[in-house]
Amino acid sequence: MHREFIRLFSNGCNERSEGSSRPTTPAIGQDEGVGTRILAVEDDGRIRAAVKLALEDEGWIVDEAASGEEAVVIFLREPADVVLIDIMLPGIDGFELCRTIRRSSDVPIVIVTARADTHDVVAGLEAGADDYLTKPFAPKELSARIRALLRRARPAHPAHPKLVFGDLEVTPDEGKVVRGGTEIHLTKTEFRLLCELAQSPGKVFSREQLLDHVWGYGYFGDGRLVDVHVRRLRTKVELDPANPRHVVTVRGLGYRLQA
Amino acid sequence: MKAVDAPAERNRRPRRRALRRGRRSLGLRTRILATFGLGSLVLSTFLALSTFNFTRSNLVDERESTAISKVYRDATRLQSDLTSNPTKVQAAIERLGAERPLLYFRGTWTGDDARFSSSAIPASMLAVVLDERRPSVMRTEVDGELVILIGVPLTDVDGAYFEFPTIDDIRSTLHSVGLAMILAAAITTLVGIVLGAIAASRAVRPLVAASQAAQAIAGGRLDTRLVETNDPDLAALTTSFNAMASALEQRVERDARFTSDVSHELRSPLQTLKASVEVMQARRDELPERTQAALDLMVADVARFQGLVEDLLEISRLDAGAVKLMVEELLVGEFVRQAVGISSAAETPVNVARSAADVIINGDRRRLARVIANLIDNGRSYGGGEMEVTVFDPDEKDGEPITQIWITVEDRGPGVDPNERERIFERFARGGVAGRRSGSEGAGLGLALVDEHIRLHGGRVWVDDRPDGLDGARFVIELPAERSR
Repeated sequence: MHREFIRLFSNGCNERSEGSSRPTTPAIGQDEGVGTRILAVEDDGRIRAAVKLALEDEGWIVDEAASGEEAVVIFLREPADVVLIDIMLPGIDGFELCRTIRRSSDVPIVIVTARADTHDVVAGLEAGADDYLTKPFAPKELSARIRALLRRARPAHPAHPKLVFGDLEVTPDEGKVVRGGTEIHLTKTEFRLLCELAQSPGKVFSREQLLDHVWGYGYFGDGRLVDVHVRRLRTKVELDPANPRHVVTVRGLGYRLQA
Repeated sequence: MKAVDAPAERNRRPRRRALRRGRRSLGLRTRILATFGLGSLVLSTFLALSTFNFTRSNLVDERESTAISKVYRDATRLQSDLTSNPTKVQAAIERLGAERPLLYFRGTWTGDDARFSSSAIPASMLAVVLDERRPSVMRTEVDGELVILIGVPLTDVDGAYFEFPTIDDIRSTLHSVGLAMILAAAITTLVGIVLGAIAASRAVRPLVAASQAAQAIAGGRLDTRLVETNDPDLAALTTSFNAMASALEQRVERDARFTSDVSHELRSPLQTLKASVEVMQARRDELPERTQAALDLMVADVARFQGLVEDLLEISRLDAGAVKLMVEELLVGEFVRQAVGISSAAETPVNVARSAADVIINGDRRRLARVIANLIDNGRSYGGGEMEVTVFDPDEKDGEPITQIWITVEDRGPGVDPNERERIFERFARGGVAGRRSGSEGAGLGLALVDEHIRLHGGRVWVDDRPDGLDGARFVIELPAERSR
């Protein structure tokens, strides 16, 4: 049953993207928290209600979905600015929902997992999530994460109008990446990560620096966020993601971008 | 980052059920070797001895019966000579041509060798032959020579005839046979020992395999199995070992699944509580004073409940061996500063000795931060007053690479009674100082988790007195240092 939902959802989006251009440009100029819609996908009704109350206190507009299927329908009807997904869902699970949404949208996604040291985190990030929280989280912390994610949607540093790395062209102002003449579609976080690296080509960025600059995390941020996002970025900007030429790992130190 | 398996089993349980206990016995290998060695020694000795005895009695008996029949022949002839011609005694003896003859005839002894005279014959034999007039045979030694002494009474002429045929040559033959037998016994025993060694190593081989498999399982590789065998004796061991391993694997998996289920079940209501409490806190000022007090209590205990659930889950995962450390290189001084910075007493001063400034350790960033936070919580709720955190190299020597690092947390409380210093690291340690220590915060799991996590990191933790002589406790974490930057 949920397979049909997914197909329906993907088809719908394809049609839509044929009509108008896909939302490649990050939402610029949107005021933080004002009119920002959050779609909270959580099967436990009481958690949903409590989190909605707390998030509304922070000034967000909260849509609720009790299942992945319902979330797909609601997202189709009215795309949210941020999606919050509990990984453990009946029917289509959180990972599948992440992938489904990612197929058509670069909306920031935060997943909620039971524990940080399980495979869930990496699997969720690989499914396309931008960040994660462990249950039970403080809604204030979630708001902080959402603000960081939305901030990420803005251009990094408009000082350089266009950055060129071999066959790769990055235009931070327009949120545009072109490889060999073809535009590449990145999520907001992937784009922000690329811009961060592109700011100082050849310079090695440690995981801590990237976590701080891109995600707004302090010393105890999770390095896997960086690792998985770099992996995702490579599948898009590298010709051969297994032997990256642009986004290069510097063993024991971090990552750097080169031409 | 790499994942490290926690040891699947805790080795601290004092009581263990053993299949056999009691006296310390020799190893199986030694016992098999000893059985083969001793067995072949006993068997070959027995065979050698019986062969030797058989050979000896055969040789001697044959010589004896030959000698006896010859002596009888000589005696008969002598008797007939003496009957017909009683005076020519010497001539009659010479005519016999016998070896060492001795004749007793009419009260006189006649022989041809002074060594083999009547004095060489034991009195008992003389009595039998001369008085009872019966023939007699005995083996005796005359002048160092082994002989068969044969005496025959000459009934018709009132005399007796003796001969001393030698069997000394048999002695040297037997000597050679004996040597050969000893050699054979020695070789057989050696062969037995060699066979024993081979048998022992063959017998122990499946046990070695089983022991290696058991070690692998204890080390967390739960899918380890023994190779199936056709040997009916070993098949029982293999089958039951593999069955045990499967049961263990299933149980660990079930435990891990149970833990994750419990995790989800407990976290959901906590999530509701936390979000609801936050909503109420945002409106705290609108509430009546008594409701505010109640809300504050609720906020504090929701936090405590969360800590308790997390500690319980962490410890059950440690027990199930399901904890995977996310190990990375940490600059220890910077790390401790950051960890103290997010603890409940963020203003606690952190002194990093110059010797420790560039030291890198391998650790799970979040778990080690939790360890430090737990020690600070502990010091805050029990010790009170000014705390101090110090990072240094305990055996600082110039030019030598650093091997370990100490992170100490000192408080200004009354200290920990020496009798309680081990017990406070046990789970829910009760009574005395430990009870008070753990009563106010957490659930007595904080220090137990500190201990478990530090051991997972290959270090240890203990508590002693402040080295400066002031009142207070000093908790010491000792961790292996990876290298210096």
